[in-house]
Amino acid sequence: MRFVVPFLFIVVVAMASPAAAQWNGAAPPRVPRNSDGSPNLNGPAPKTADGKPDLSGVWRPDRNQKCPPDGCPDNQMSEQFLDLGWGMKDGLPYQPWAADLVTRRTARNGQDDPTSHCFPGGIVRLHTYPAFNKIVQTPRLIVILSEREVTYRQIFLDGRPLPKDPLPTWKGYSTGRWEGDTLVVESSGFRGEDIWLDRKGSPLTDVATITERIRRVNYGRLQTQLTVNDPKAYTHPFTVTLNEYLEPAGELMDFVCLENDKGGPDFLGK
Amino acid sequence: MTRPTLAALFVLLLAASAHAHHSFAAEYDGKKPAMFTGTVTKVEWTNPHVHFFVDVKDSAGATAQWEFTMGAVNGLFRRGWTKEMLKPGDTVTVDGYLARDGSHLANARTVTLRDGRRMSGGTMADDPPN
Repeated sequence: MRFVVPFLFIVVVAMASPAAAQWNGAAPPRVPRNSDGSPNLNGPAPKTADGKPDLSGVWRPDRNQKCPPDGCPDNQMSEQFLDLGWGMKDGLPYQPWAADLVTRRTARNGQDDPTSHCFPGGIVRLHTYPAFNKIVQTPRLIVILSEREVTYRQIFLDGRPLPKDPLPTWKGYSTGRWEGDTLVVESSGFRGEDIWLDRKGSPLTDVATITERIRRVNYGRLQTQLTVNDPKAYTHPFTVTLNEYLEPAGELMDFVCLENDKGGPDFLGK
Repeated sequence: MTRPTLAALFVLLLAASAHAHHSFAAEYDGKKPAMFTGTVTKVEWTNPHVHFFVDVKDSAGATAQWEFTMGAVNGLFRRGWTKEMLKPGDTVTVDGYLARDGSHLANARTVTLRDGRRMSGGTMADDPPN
């Protein structure tokens, strides 16, 4: 997405102490430091007591969207939040009906996006939605707390299989295993109608399975190779790479969208 | 005191695209920037967006109430905002983008506070984490 910026109306904004106010500002223990004492986010990824990579921390999705010099008109966010197929030569491999659906959804500027109406976003958008997540890791269970809608995700590491006939949910059912330094997570059991993979409206259906290969590349970055296998909506499986960055002194803060939602008349289901 | 300035600067943007978690593009027009100065009458410090209301006088002296939206509470807090910074009675200057529907509603891109500080309305990038 490109912006052309003949802005006469240039707001040169000296942002007042942006991002300075973190929740109490406490840095996590064992953070590698540069010689000047600042956190070295390029330092090595930490390990847990049992020798596995430690994914714990507060993470925020990538902000790789290109903005004009005076800033985006709106939040700078992940390109994949807007279009999960960003960077792919031909975009996502939609089935014809799905391509038609995305065209219609895009034409409405995201008005019908479930997340615009305070619904959960599903696990793909957990990696792209501009809000913080906290990973809490134990040997047999990983919990991801999301400040968006104050929700949770569980990834079971205890060897259980995926259920054959799961209750369909927004985030599905997830099991994981370690392959070297990579956490491999398989998920299924998604609601079949309401989950958008991006702001364009790329769909996810009830037959979908999602595989995430999650690796803490260094202290400050999580990288996920995420594969969607959904033959109802896509002609073949596709894989995208999503980055998330550590907020070393960050903390979750409630984002309860329904507090004062003025989203207008186009609510889902109405 | 309220400076009676409604300087709505409509300028050409060859192309713009805007998206928000709450669909900026659906509600606001990135091609219609505007600037307002007036007196705050009400603040709703809530999610998913902070809303505040400002009485703005036009060049003829008539007062109209405008509603402005900002980002989510957590994003604003991370930029250094607290709810004490914006109170009824404050004189503020706001620049932002007008609503598509032509109502007295705009997205606040920046807010110049009563003490002169200019704060992001939470619709631009946060700083990187380190």
